[in-house]
Amino acid sequence: MESVLETIKLEMVYRVGKVDVPALRGVDLQAGAGEYVAIMGPSGCGKSTFLHIVGGMLQPTAGQVMIDGEDLTRMTDSQRTDLRRRKIGFVFQRFNLFPTLSAEGNLKLAERIHHKSNGSDSKRRRDLLRLLKLEDKIHHKPLEMSGGEQQRVALARAVINRPAILLADEPTGNLDSENSQIVLDMLRDLNKEFGQTIVMITHNPEAALRADRIIEMRDGHVVGSRRNQ
Amino acid sequence: MNSLVVANVKQRPLRTALSMAGVALGVILVVLVAGLVRGVSRDTTQRQMNVDSELRVYIDNVNIASGANPLQMPRRYADAIKNGVQPTPEYPDITPRPPVAGVKEVTPVGLWVQNSVGGIGFETVEGIDWESLTKTTGLHIIEGRPINDSRQPEPEFEVIVDRYYTEVNKGLDGKPVRIGSTITALNREFTVVGIYEPSVMSRIKIPLYTMQELTGGADIADNCSFLMVKCERPELADEVRETIKKYYPGLKVIRTDEIPALYSQGLVGLDIFLNVVIAVSVIISTMIILLAMYTTIIERTREIGILKGLGASKPFIVWAIEKEATLISALGVAVGFLISVAGKYFIEASTRLRIDLEWRWLLLGAGMGLVCGLAGALYPAIRAANLDPVEAISYE
Repeated sequence: MESVLETIKLEMVYRVGKVDVPALRGVDLQAGAGEYVAIMGPSGCGKSTFLHIVGGMLQPTAGQVMIDGEDLTRMTDSQRTDLRRRKIGFVFQRFNLFPTLSAEGNLKLAERIHHKSNGSDSKRRRDLLRLLKLEDKIHHKPLEMSGGEQQRVALARAVINRPAILLADEPTGNLDSENSQIVLDMLRDLNKEFGQTIVMITHNPEAALRADRIIEMRDGHVVGSRRNQ
Repeated sequence: MNSLVVANVKQRPLRTALSMAGVALGVILVVLVAGLVRGVSRDTTQRQMNVDSELRVYIDNVNIASGANPLQMPRRYADAIKNGVQPTPEYPDITPRPPVAGVKEVTPVGLWVQNSVGGIGFETVEGIDWESLTKTTGLHIIEGRPINDSRQPEPEFEVIVDRYYTEVNKGLDGKPVRIGSTITALNREFTVVGIYEPSVMSRIKIPLYTMQELTGGADIADNCSFLMVKCERPELADEVRETIKKYYPGLKVIRTDEIPALYSQGLVGLDIFLNVVIAVSVIISTMIILLAMYTTIIERTREIGILKGLGASKPFIVWAIEKEATLISALGVAVGFLISVAGKYFIEASTRLRIDLEWRWLLLGAGMGLVCGLAGALYPAIRAANLDPVEAISYE
């Protein structure tokens, strides 16, 4: 399987006052095209740092990150931003939608950032919102939607520009079990129907079981990797 | 992105309104002050020019451009220029002078500055000699009658005003000025006995003798501020001027058509004042936009983090914030224009000041408002663009 994400001896050390705090200690990881990977581990094991680095929002202390053939660690800040715009979609635990914009407005903004003019891909927007069962919420603002609906809009926004990788940081962390199931189903559908590569951080073993592969992290290391049946 | 900009502006209506008010204040300051300065000076110059006399005579060392001068000039110069002068028992040492050739009429004018009605600005009151003034200005009464010279005992002080004055002012009874109304001049109540045309120099004219009595009595007995000289033919003006200078070296003589240039010299100080007003306006508008956008950025740190998470570049973020500031500034400019226009009519209705809203100043006000908006938002925008995406997205 062709690798879309590859990290080689990835290290990250935070400087807190005069103390160096290592967050990642040489992480080697690969995710193939169309693969759905779940990363699990206790709090502070480096999962979020890993996600922020592969998302181009943090520069690692050492190591290499290859995204769809491009070396993230050799890039400037603006080049990383450009790569994030072209190849990465983010889903956050707290949805992070723009509260003043409707569901469609949030999607349009993501398209605009991706250098597409407003309304250029309205069919895809509608298809996506239909797939995520949000066709009747298109003009609703975040505060007029449930948490599950908001997270589905966030999911739609993350994939509207067809990113090479979807990075999801605890996407069900703020949802009840019913909405969690819906969002996890959506992630699975996106993966199956569009071949979307997904890297998801989760504490929830049930959520992790939906992925193709589960990676265990501890103390900044990858300590295990297993395929789900 | 436009919908995001509009949504952000609508999200905090009070802050948007305050920011708009800051820009509007700058626009109002520039447009109204410039309009006031230009309007008053143009109106004054026009009225000063609106006379038939070709020359004005002042005693030396007075500031003609200041608009008003105290009663320092002996009125007898008027007789001397017109009729010549001979030694008298009272002035035995006087050098005899013949009448100045080519002079048809000379009229003395006294000027007095007082606070304008409504307390904004000032206005001048003129002391005149009716008989000679009509021969040098073409001024005539359209309603009522001329003023008396006040040398006879009068039951009340008399004043004549021009038509514009009656249209925009009220008498002490609160009603529009008409014949019989009383108005205040030199801190006394005067009765309007006549309305004249055309508008010539000051709008309020009282007898020169009354002005002398009320402003100085014996100390300035029979003094005036300047003389207006009507020549027999306009082309004699330069010749008459030279003769007056020759006969009376202590006098300053100017042509009436030189008055606009002299007033322009007087406006240099006003231009400096205008520049100061513009500078203050720029600072106020820029600071208000800067503070408003800075607080906006702090409040929206998380949203900026989301934009960064979505891959928004630094120029994209800077431009989004600048667009928001531009929208607020444009609204502020529009509000500023509306208030300026309303202010013009209010000030003109409640005072005797004139305001010219020139395109030049309207454009300058608009440009200033927009540039201040862009400049004020620049620092917050750059700061937002440089936020760390991880920290911004985690911002509470």
